[in-house]
Amino acid sequence: MWIVELLPDWVLHLILLAGIVGTTAGFVLGMIPVIKQYIIPIRVISIILVVFGLFLEGALFDNQTWILRVKEVEAKLAIAEAESAKANNKITEKSNTQNNKQKEKTVIVKQYIDREVKRYDNQCVIPNEFVKAHNDSAERAK
Amino acid sequence: MKYLSILLIVLLSACSTAVPVTAKFPDAPGKGSMERCTDLVKLQDGVKLSDVSKTISINYETYYSCAVKADTWQEWYQIQKNIYEKAGK
Repeated sequence: MWIVELLPDWVLHLILLAGIVGTTAGFVLGMIPVIKQYIIPIRVISIILVVFGLFLEGALFDNQTWILRVKEVEAKLAIAEAESAKANNKITEKSNTQNNKQKEKTVIVKQYIDREVKRYDNQCVIPNEFVKAHNDSAERAK
Repeated sequence: MKYLSILLIVLLSACSTAVPVTAKFPDAPGKGSMERCTDLVKLQDGVKLSDVSKTISINYETYYSCAVKADTWQEWYQIQKNIYEKAGK
């Protein structure tokens, strides 16, 4: 609420206090001639101040409650962000390890192909139909 | 009526609640996870058996690296979900 954020807390307390003092003066000290002269405006203004002051006190209390809740959530989120970053590092590391293992495996398989399969290169003719079937399967569907 | 309207505006101003808390969206699990899976390698006409074997081997590597990527994202989602659900309690 902008009024609560704009004005310092003591101003809000002062408005309520002024209202209470004014109301007390307007109803209890009515017999004093100086006060009696302005009794109606004092009563009206004081009651307005009490109502507005109470409203602002409620808003202030509500605002403070929310500030506490926000701080609580911010603290929880900070913990969550730290945990999230830690978990991310772990996952990334795991995925990198798996990818490296896969690459190493491919290198070993390629070495095996050069050593064992290459011998059959002259004995085996790969038909173009096989190549077509392979390439069609390897192509991403559009 | 004029004063009542002013009072109403003042009272309604209490309804404006800005939410100052913003949660940072968790980062992706590594740069590689954001890269698209590469296309599979094709064979040339008149290819030799060893080249076919190598191409198949390369394509399996491509598949498994893509599978690792998918597994990583699934794990990432599950972990981040747990962390943020725990934070929301």
